[in-house]
Amino acid sequence: MFKLALPRSAIAGAGGAAIPLLERLGLRAASGVGEAGWGRTALAGVVSFLYFFPVLWIILTAFKSYDDVLAVPAKFFFTPTLDNFRQVFSRAYSVQGQVQDTGFALFFFNSIVIATVSVAVALVLGTFAAFGFSRYPLKGNDTYLFIILSTRMLPAIVVIIPIFLMFRITGLAGTYLGIIALYTTFNLPFTIWMMKSFFDELSPDVEDAARIDGSSDARVFFKICLPQVVAGLAATAVFGLILTWNEFLFALLLSGVETRTVPVAMAQTIGGDIGVRWGLLAAIETLFLVPVIIVTFALQNQLLRGVTFGTIKR
Amino acid sequence: MERSSPTGGMAASPALSPALPSASPPAFAPALAPALAPIPRPAGRLLRWNNWQAALLVFVVGMPPAIALLPPAFSFWVAAALAVLLAATLVVNAWGRHTGGLLVAPALALLFVMNIYPLLWSFGLSFFNYRANRMKQPTFVGLQNYANVITDPVVWDRLHTTAIMVVLTVSVQMVIGFLLALLFSKQFPLRRYLMILVLTPMMLSFVAVGAFFRYYYEPSLGLLSQFVRLFTGEPYVLMQSVWGARAGIILADAWMWSPFVMLLVLAGLVSVPKYLYEAAAIDRAPAWRRMWSITLPYIRGLLLLALLFRTIEAFKLFDVVFLLTEGGPGTATETIAVYVYRVAFQYVKTSESTALTYILLFTVIVLTNLYLYLANRRIKEA
Amino acid sequence: MSTIELRKVSKRFGSFVAVRGIDLAVRAGEVVCLLGPSGCGKTTTLRMIAGLERPTGGDVLVAGRRVNELKPEQRDIAMVFQFYALYPALSVRENIMFPLHHEKLDAATACARVAKVAALLHLDGILDRQPGRISEGEKQRVAVARAVVRDPSCFLFDEPLSRLDVELRQSMRSQIKSVLTGLSKATVIVTHDQLEALTMADRIAIMRDGVIEQIDSPHEVFARPANVFVASFIGTPQMNLLPARFDGLSDGKAAFDVQGQAIRLKVDPAVQRLARGKVTIGVRPRALVPASEASADTFTSRAELIEPMGAETLVHARTGGGDDIRVVVPREARVQVGETLHLRTDLHQTHVFDADGKAVR
Repeated sequence: MFKLALPRSAIAGAGGAAIPLLERLGLRAASGVGEAGWGRTALAGVVSFLYFFPVLWIILTAFKSYDDVLAVPAKFFFTPTLDNFRQVFSRAYSVQGQVQDTGFALFFFNSIVIATVSVAVALVLGTFAAFGFSRYPLKGNDTYLFIILSTRMLPAIVVIIPIFLMFRITGLAGTYLGIIALYTTFNLPFTIWMMKSFFDELSPDVEDAARIDGSSDARVFFKICLPQVVAGLAATAVFGLILTWNEFLFALLLSGVETRTVPVAMAQTIGGDIGVRWGLLAAIETLFLVPVIIVTFALQNQLLRGVTFGTIKR
Repeated sequence: MERSSPTGGMAASPALSPALPSASPPAFAPALAPALAPIPRPAGRLLRWNNWQAALLVFVVGMPPAIALLPPAFSFWVAAALAVLLAATLVVNAWGRHTGGLLVAPALALLFVMNIYPLLWSFGLSFFNYRANRMKQPTFVGLQNYANVITDPVVWDRLHTTAIMVVLTVSVQMVIGFLLALLFSKQFPLRRYLMILVLTPMMLSFVAVGAFFRYYYEPSLGLLSQFVRLFTGEPYVLMQSVWGARAGIILADAWMWSPFVMLLVLAGLVSVPKYLYEAAAIDRAPAWRRMWSITLPYIRGLLLLALLFRTIEAFKLFDVVFLLTEGGPGTATETIAVYVYRVAFQYVKTSESTALTYILLFTVIVLTNLYLYLANRRIKEA
Repeated sequence: MSTIELRKVSKRFGSFVAVRGIDLAVRAGEVVCLLGPSGCGKTTTLRMIAGLERPTGGDVLVAGRRVNELKPEQRDIAMVFQFYALYPALSVRENIMFPLHHEKLDAATACARVAKVAALLHLDGILDRQPGRISEGEKQRVAVARAVVRDPSCFLFDEPLSRLDVELRQSMRSQIKSVLTGLSKATVIVTHDQLEALTMADRIAIMRDGVIEQIDSPHEVFARPANVFVASFIGTPQMNLLPARFDGLSDGKAAFDVQGQAIRLKVDPAVQRLARGKVTIGVRPRALVPASEASADTFTSRAELIEPMGAETLVHARTGGGDDIRVVVPREARVQVGETLHLRTDLHQTHVFDADGKAVR
């Protein structure tokens, strides 16, 4: 309390005056109507920490040895080990004397490749389309956009049956090409909506000036518009990566044994008969998590736009 | 390949005659050829490459007979060929005419082929009684699948379950999201960093969340059980009772998505100009009145959007349910999405499941429409 | 008794000092304008009176009470914001009624008050509209109405006319002035437009860098500026400020060397006590009169740019020493570019500022 009181009294100047209680607690700041002090930080800290706790526990579990994971009562303090992480990638784990490769290296590879390629292709196609929707509105623009968004909002289950059949008939099931094509199609609506919202924000004056100076449409697009939305491209790409990476249902049904992605492999690990290797799972999830957390921090400003698929900005 | 001229090109090129194979529709040309045989000049437009209306017509007319008469595998290819033809005409149509069209067409074409076409094809399938693991030819049954689905008590039961869970999880999300937003509405030290902690659950994969909540709910070593054991001394099995399982799923889902509501409400709270609160302070308005007259109107629109968005998404509740309970115990937590999955892949009643999915689709489209309408209106008002 | 008093009030934001120990007293019924360029601390001062900022030093007194620690709602003041701060979700009528909720009046009295104020500011037609659907001028009047409907100790205006176009400003100036005169409460207006200050204020406080340079009636500020800054800030076209060297007195007149040109002017007697050295001579453009021929007390200059202003013409000229000098002549005196002008001034309109910039009086 002493530390909290100190800044307040410094500001209050001629000392000894009554300081309102909320300010003393740091819940409301001395100056201004929209600010709060360290008291608010403490409260928010407690709430945030509690909210984050399940995630924190996962990260902790990833560093626990096999026995620590199963310990009851739960251990908060333990000696960390990197065993789980090693097992994820190549080394063996021994189950009743048997040495097996978890194979997750392959699954990580699959996830990375599939996600990257599909996001990249969607980004290219989608950005062009978004530019078209934004700068050259067609008759029925809204209808097209609506249809595009609907495909993204549909329950996966609605789309999966025909696509599953289609994949079976065309022999795409279990192939890289098939699942990449599918994910590209999934990322397209999101990319289009996001990039369109970014293009809509650009002022057309600069483009008009360039046109008057004789630039062709292509030049205007590449040299003027695109550099301005680089941040948008990055945000869209990252969101797309996260969404694709996390996708489960389609991967479950459409990827083959060799082309399995990490989420599917994780689910299968849970249902395994060996007994769930929680430590291993935790390690896998932590490997997912850390880039996601970093990215969430980097993209804080675009988060709202990203999670609403570009339909809402500030 | 001809480019369409800006004037509409009424003059038919003498090179296009009904006998030209590239311009005639495939598969069912014999049926249609007589109609096309004599081509007066204006109708020469019909056969141009960029005439997407004609391609659409062919597509719509050609599909049902194809499905009816051919084995499913072949009908698929025929219909696919028609679809590709349609997509191609769209692209070509765009080429000459609008720059916008050209930019947009490849994306639209891909979407059409990979997404919309399968939907249409399965829509067609829903009128037959097709089962994917049987080899026999599907027969046309009209609306019977739909009738079956609408009158099926199991479906209504699942819808009921889904509705309960959706209402509960969305309510919890809205409340917690709103409270979180209030907490973060003012600037305070470390705000940025603390917000990351709260935003992370939203970005995690369903699988991870499902897997881990399963761990937490585990009777023997899960954290929840241990916590309860401190008070009752007995292992707590959350997932065994109907409401326990539902609560478990709702908790996991709400935990994941409350930050979403927080983001939206925060956007609203932050957009209120500071001077309005200053004016209200000078006008001696008490806190509740400030909230009611100033804050609420700003976030009202966003709250509604959050509600709609989460509801639409909640209908898709599959991943978390599947991983945590697989619909159990019994069928207590089997949402409609899980049920459809079962019907389609476990019982392999393909056509029936497509009928069901179409009803769901219709609902979601209505809701999405509403959502977009409100989102657009908010932009216009701003 | 409604008064506002500031005693040695200062405000710092971190290491930046916005307001440095200013003293100000506003009597009941008096209108004081805080005038100055952006960043001079006038808005910060106003906000400290309102309670939206907490002073880091000094005392703020409203109606005789020390209010440093009091929140805005406890200070019994009314404020009109630069951006009007109208509540967008409420109608105009509800906006005006908003401050009255605190007074717990019955509906009839409240409505009557609102109606009276609305009539006063000609808002009758738009009472049921939302702020998003009324014009800038109407928004401004609603903001004023909302402040006036109460009976506070004092009024604060933050750049009230800055968002209006020129014609609207003129009509609003007079309207506000008449409203304020009728109410006779202490009022502080912040503005950067000197015309506003000159027309609406009983006293003007000119601020720069957190300090009040001069506080006086409009006439005094115009006719007897305390220093170079005030002299150059008030009055359009800007006063001519000529750097010169004071060479002492001869024949009862002060001798100056203005960049090489010797000139003898009749000035304020206090100049006698000034030491020889650098000074600045200030003469307003309208105080200069072209003479027919050169003499010991005229500035010789050459016209370089002619700006017709309608009934008058502004002539930019250059003295022999290279200084810019501006003179306003009537339209009829057709001055040509390149013409030589001999400009004469008179005793009361010639200001001498010493090396520190202070007026010598």
